[in-house]
Amino acid sequence: MNIKYVFKYFIAVLIIVLSVVGKSYASGFPTRPGRLIVSPSVSYFFANKEWDSTGVKKSFANDGKFTSVSFNLYAEYGISRRFSAVFLLPYIMNTYAQTGYPKSSVSGLTDMETGIKYYLANINYVDYFSLQATAITPLYNNPNLGYNEEGGELKLSFAGSGAIGSKNFFFNFDEAGRYYFGPGGPFQDRYAGTFGLTLDNNFKNQLSLTASGIYTTSNNKQNFNLLNPYVNKNFSFTQVSLSYGHTFSKRFTVFLTGGQFVIGRNTGAGTSGTVALIYRIGN
Amino acid sequence: MKIMIQHKRILIPGFIMPAICLLFVLLSAGNAFAANDADISFTTTPTIKSALFKGGSRITYNVDINNPLDTVEAGKITYRVTTERGKFLDEDSVKISVGSKSTKHLEISMPPQETGFFKLMVIINVTDYDDTTLLAFGVDPEKIHSQYAKPADFDQFWANTKAELAKVAPDFKLTYLPDSSRENRKAYLFEFKSLDNLTVRGYMTVPINPNPHHKFAVIFQVPPYQVPLLPMFGSDPDVAIVSVNVRGQGNSRDVIHTTHDDYIFYHIEDRNKYVMRGAIMDCLRTVDFIFTQPELDHSKIMVVGGSMGGFLAIATASLDKRIKICSSQNPILSDVRNMHGEAEWPLNVITRYVATKPGVTLEKVLNNLDYYDTKNFAENVDCTTLIGIGLLDNLVPPNHAYVVYNNLHGDKHMISFPNLGHEVGMPYKVYESRWMHDTFALF
Repeated sequence: MNIKYVFKYFIAVLIIVLSVVGKSYASGFPTRPGRLIVSPSVSYFFANKEWDSTGVKKSFANDGKFTSVSFNLYAEYGISRRFSAVFLLPYIMNTYAQTGYPKSSVSGLTDMETGIKYYLANINYVDYFSLQATAITPLYNNPNLGYNEEGGELKLSFAGSGAIGSKNFFFNFDEAGRYYFGPGGPFQDRYAGTFGLTLDNNFKNQLSLTASGIYTTSNNKQNFNLLNPYVNKNFSFTQVSLSYGHTFSKRFTVFLTGGQFVIGRNTGAGTSGTVALIYRIGN
Repeated sequence: MKIMIQHKRILIPGFIMPAICLLFVLLSAGNAFAANDADISFTTTPTIKSALFKGGSRITYNVDINNPLDTVEAGKITYRVTTERGKFLDEDSVKISVGSKSTKHLEISMPPQETGFFKLMVIINVTDYDDTTLLAFGVDPEKIHSQYAKPADFDQFWANTKAELAKVAPDFKLTYLPDSSRENRKAYLFEFKSLDNLTVRGYMTVPINPNPHHKFAVIFQVPPYQVPLLPMFGSDPDVAIVSVNVRGQGNSRDVIHTTHDDYIFYHIEDRNKYVMRGAIMDCLRTVDFIFTQPELDHSKIMVVGGSMGGFLAIATASLDKRIKICSSQNPILSDVRNMHGEAEWPLNVITRYVATKPGVTLEKVLNNLDYYDTKNFAENVDCTTLIGIGLLDNLVPPNHAYVVYNNLHGDKHMISFPNLGHEVGMPYKVYESRWMHDTFALF
């Protein structure tokens, strides 16, 4: 497999990483003013299969194996009751190995995200709506690390909690539209839904299931391979992930997440694992 | 014949609500066992959960009868609608027959009523069972207003009173109470001088936080009628609780120490000496105290109280704009001039008192009470306010509470409990907590 062709999966991998980071912290809830939430995380992704442009799943050629390790720093700061600032800095290391070819690797900072989240409304102070506007800034020149284009995203989130019998539950839904300001975009529809249960009355342990994915479209479908053969602007996938969270203290929580791609088009079919730490600093 | 009034009305201090709820759960469990002893039972529920209907629409209730007996039970269901004062409005009956070991469902549909609140009796008379349920419903309650206006000099009266308070040096004292403190909170006794130079005391509990600069939002608890407040604790690490025993209550009975019943009319014949004048100023001085405490967030104060505390909460929020939010449950002294025939207390004891005081008339007392009517304080409340009521409240009938609610000009929210008397249910306290945390951005 041509290494240029392989790098089309990088975008999807980056997206997986970012979506996992977001899920560890229900984005629909407002953030307390003066509180800084810092979440460093490390993710591992492995794929030896792909879905082609028609959604047919098949193995990589030449026993190819694609791995990605990413380090991410996510932060959110409560500015006021309504507003909070959001920041994400990802660093990624991708490797593709296939029989008969030399191993190929690429690494570096990718797309930085800086955003403002606005607490829109609530339902009886239990369920919360928020709107987030995010700027995407590429921190690289290497086209193998992403679209290398500025972008913008608007995300609507809905989060809430309740009880089923003796168990407390929580949920979070995100629906976002992201557009990259380059030739052919692309435009991405990003979605995620999480449902979780607390496993004890002290809210120390929680288990959650998330379905998330991306549907990417470009208005430059015919030419995108010619203009930019390294980046895939037409793909989609949905992954399902299971996450366990343990709260050690009011200030510190750890999330362990495992994910599996369940459906896709024009992207790798892989498995992911993430360890995310969440620190709450300040108020 | 067995006549049961299912919904009794009792005066319950807010702080014993958890105990009442526990008792209710236990009693409910007991009733469940009783039901298994093959008794006929019936329930009556409004088709609109809140029992607040729109004007022009029919008033509808669901009636469900359970007959566990081996006999067919035949008879009738009767409904009777009266005003809050008991004036008869409407009555009708329907014949019913409930088969052995079966249930029967029917809907009562009553003619529309004018704006206001009404009492509804649903009576079942069948072969082996007679029972009566007392209920209440409202029609367009947001249109209820009092025909009695606020005195023209109401605001001036209270401005003068506040000016009088300002002349009293507070002489705040704070005493750490190590024996009353708990693992997560420090407890303090505070005292100060208030109107007429009386000493007033209260308690403050503050969460223990490793950050010495952390500032805590404040729940300012004002007291129910003649219920001594003690240091109040909780598990909320973000909130300090300040509770005051106004003059004549709890540990502030140095000068005023009436009997339980006499407190409400203490010096009522003189509006400048009425006990509530000082009690309200005691609340305002407590806010002054809060502002002397550096660990308290002075921009996040919720005043909260039930019954007399509900009255004091609204009065405090009305007269002191430093209050950020106000939670008032079953506030007494609401629309006082309309109480006759609708509320049992306190007009009954005030009337008896007036009869013992030569030269004092009820009209004069009512004139004085105009300056203490919760509805008149409500007009000046700017902060966000939450009000809770029971539609079967015999001390604060719902039409009185709605006069107060409708006089509020700021953001407001009403939670009513169709089957409760002078109390609110646990959902109110849950909502109140979430509302406070959201308003104070304690996410």
